[in-house]
Amino acid sequence: MGLSRREFLKRTAALTAASYVGINLPFDNKGTSHAADADSWHKGTCRLCGAGCRLELGVKNGKAVALRGIADSRTNKGYLCMKGMLFYKLMGNNHPDRLKKPLYRARKDQPFKEISWDEALDIAAKEFAKAVKKYGNNSVAYYGSGQALTEETYLFQKVMRGGLRTNNVEGNPRLCMASAVGGYLTSFGADEPIGSYTNFERAHCFFIIGSNTAEAHPVLFRRIMRRKLDNKDTVKVINADPRVSPTSRIADLHLQFEPGTDLALLNAMAHVIVFEKLYDESFLRDYAVFRMGKDKKQVSFEKYKEFIKDYTPEKAASICKGNITPEKIRQAAYWFAKSEGTMSIWTMGINQRKRGVWANNLIHNLHILTGQLCKPGADSFSLTGQPNACGGVREGGGLCHILPAHRLVKKDKLRHEVERLWGIPEGRIPPKPGYHTIAMFEAVNQGKIKAIWINCTSPAQSLPNCDKYRKGMRRDDVFLVVTDIFPTKTTELANLVLPTAFHFEKTGVYGCTERRSQLTVKAVDAPGEAKPEVWIVREWALRLAKELNDPVIKKCVEPFIGKEPDYELPKAIWDEYSQKLTKGRDNDLSGATYEVLKQLPDGVQWPAPTKEWALKGGTDIKFVRGLDPLADKHAKDQKPFQFYGPAHPDRKLWVWLRPQKGPEEMPDSEYPFYLSTGRVIDHWHTSSMTGRIPELMRANPYAYVEINPKDAEKLGIKPGDMVEVVSRRGRNVLPAKVYVGPCEGMVFVYWHDQAEDRMINRVTKDAFDPGSKEPEFKICACRIRKVSGPKPLKPFLVELKT
Amino acid sequence: MRRFKLKYLFIFLAFAAFTACTAGAKNSVNTITTKGHPALDAQEKLTPCATCHKDVTPDIYKEWYDSVHGIANVKCFQCHGTYEDFATVPKESSCATCHNEQFKKKPKNKACWSCHPAHHFYIHK
Repeated sequence: MGLSRREFLKRTAALTAASYVGINLPFDNKGTSHAADADSWHKGTCRLCGAGCRLELGVKNGKAVALRGIADSRTNKGYLCMKGMLFYKLMGNNHPDRLKKPLYRARKDQPFKEISWDEALDIAAKEFAKAVKKYGNNSVAYYGSGQALTEETYLFQKVMRGGLRTNNVEGNPRLCMASAVGGYLTSFGADEPIGSYTNFERAHCFFIIGSNTAEAHPVLFRRIMRRKLDNKDTVKVINADPRVSPTSRIADLHLQFEPGTDLALLNAMAHVIVFEKLYDESFLRDYAVFRMGKDKKQVSFEKYKEFIKDYTPEKAASICKGNITPEKIRQAAYWFAKSEGTMSIWTMGINQRKRGVWANNLIHNLHILTGQLCKPGADSFSLTGQPNACGGVREGGGLCHILPAHRLVKKDKLRHEVERLWGIPEGRIPPKPGYHTIAMFEAVNQGKIKAIWINCTSPAQSLPNCDKYRKGMRRDDVFLVVTDIFPTKTTELANLVLPTAFHFEKTGVYGCTERRSQLTVKAVDAPGEAKPEVWIVREWALRLAKELNDPVIKKCVEPFIGKEPDYELPKAIWDEYSQKLTKGRDNDLSGATYEVLKQLPDGVQWPAPTKEWALKGGTDIKFVRGLDPLADKHAKDQKPFQFYGPAHPDRKLWVWLRPQKGPEEMPDSEYPFYLSTGRVIDHWHTSSMTGRIPELMRANPYAYVEINPKDAEKLGIKPGDMVEVVSRRGRNVLPAKVYVGPCEGMVFVYWHDQAEDRMINRVTKDAFDPGSKEPEFKICACRIRKVSGPKPLKPFLVELKT
Repeated sequence: MRRFKLKYLFIFLAFAAFTACTAGAKNSVNTITTKGHPALDAQEKLTPCATCHKDVTPDIYKEWYDSVHGIANVKCFQCHGTYEDFATVPKESSCATCHNEQFKKKPKNKACWSCHPAHHFYIHK
């Protein structure tokens, strides 16, 4: 029962630290939920993944003291994960590390000094204006976040496009869901999932590929787990992943393939479906066509059969290796095709691939072939990683090629429509898309971008091959503004750091994975002089207008001048976006006013073209007549499903002929291992928030490298040993976790750690999908070796020196 | 209820024994005695609960691991708190973080775990 002191120390040797240098854990910790003490509760949405869990913040004497789930929310049914229940510890004055004053330095080797907001906004305006005057409009850029509120992303991109006349508007969702967007547009003709979380309780087969749902979306995983546990014999769970993860615990079948062979696996499942006649003939006849190539050439079913003929389960098993057998592929295909409702779920394992869009297409193919769409439990459902990647960035116009409400920049008609709605001169928005994320930071490296505003994200840590791009951000001729709540690896490189209000310290909307928009209203004050971003952008734009003597910049924020920033200002921005910009579009949110959103426990799913429809919760499932008002509005015939998506004029679902393609970088004799990376349940992204919550930091204080026991034995690596992970780009030294997780020949590293030695994006590769421009974080080649036995380690978080 | 109390008494004694047997060898600084948990220094507190509890309380660990909380990755600290506010028997309000509706409806004279045994979390006893 007991554990000797010696055993204890041995066990924890690699886990413990000599000191806490570099971090500031509040060890006068206010403790777990003081739920019983709260004197008021305020509804909002969780901040720490894309699930959109609804919760209530408990406030006592103006201070955040607890969080709890909202039981009648259709997203989480009252449940929260550890991040969701604890992030109140970052609010208001609860954490000493919060940024509270604007900070500035002219050169990046200088210490920061505190300045006033007037000074800060003047500097930001002068520097952006200087770049525009001297180097042109495309020398400035905005890089935002799937964690920013919709109102924030919308206003930033409006000022950049309409005011500064550049489409250099990007955000970190490019790193996580761009391939899913590409997949939905090319397969279904419209972005974002057809169905909803309600399918979790109606599905009879789950196909989970490239997603550790249990850790990345824990509350959604709970619903899948409950469905499985309540229907052990009738509900099947297939988990396809090169790594055995906590998600695999509920799987009936685990398909462990070598990284980068997923396209062969998916084509082989399609092979079984086609040649063993498991497809839905009438669904295909009514709703599908087959296409191939860059020119989207339409081909016959016979041609598709000819293409897929080569992907026999036997051949795929030889490509996929791992534990894959032809029998397992057949079993998976049968369960998929024959169940009463099959729901596919994926995230970054599919999206962060050189051929991420193709991988998305091949999952959608399986659903189109089998008719596993638009019926209860059937859906091809990409889970989104961030709370507002869908609502703010995908829908709000937060990427270089898209304008608000799913409009493409390059389409003249749509661009001019936006200009009209904004009341600015036609031709003001340039017709050419801006830099996508990797190209944007490449342009920073090359000195083409002279001023960049980074909001609510930390690319210095989260970009692949980040050392390469940190060089550019360090340049003294690149003016870098960062808006955030805590110091990060990116604030380390900034000229100007602006402290912002955190969630529940400001008001705004998040749109989660299932097309659901939810409002969070301010409940506590931000600490010090921290301000909501919408106030910052408005005030900056007014100064820019003066600096550049350009009244159109002022025009972009004119409707919002004088509004108080905590509620009236974001409400006015939301009204403009939802009432003007989304009206008549496929993500019509014109019925979802703040007043409507406040009345519902869990917000509204678009399309929601009227208040009446929005008050019913909106649209649970798209494209189905009687259930989706736009399916009725756009109906061209009597068929029950109407695929009216803007990208497919033929109104058909497209089955794509996509061949197997491996990653950009394959293991070789010099770098013999695959390296993959991912999240752990306790941390969010770069851990600038979760690392400051003692419970979460203690639960996972360091990144580890997971190594398959067979590989560890060959290399003499034992648990806790320090292991060097080297690629052609960089090097980490991390403690080893010897674990039947990754398949043989593959290692897996958690990506949250800010310590330079354990920051894995120094090692990952910045290859990207040619269509979606999403980087291939999930696969590159590396070598590993033991460098020592266990060593004391320090948890590390950036401190900002003034 | 009696069984429940005995169980926690047993855990407490096990911890006490663990503390006692390690105290002699302990020479680290900054040792903080935490009510309800053996004393650990600040560095040792950077150890996930399960790292030790797999061995210190293997039965409880296994019960948790096989429970819906274990499958869904609901970790020890979510109910028991962390070292500064550690509670061997959690406050019932910690259940309400996720189970607020059930918490409101349950009989006032019964603890949640009198029907949903701790670490097993069956639907009902």
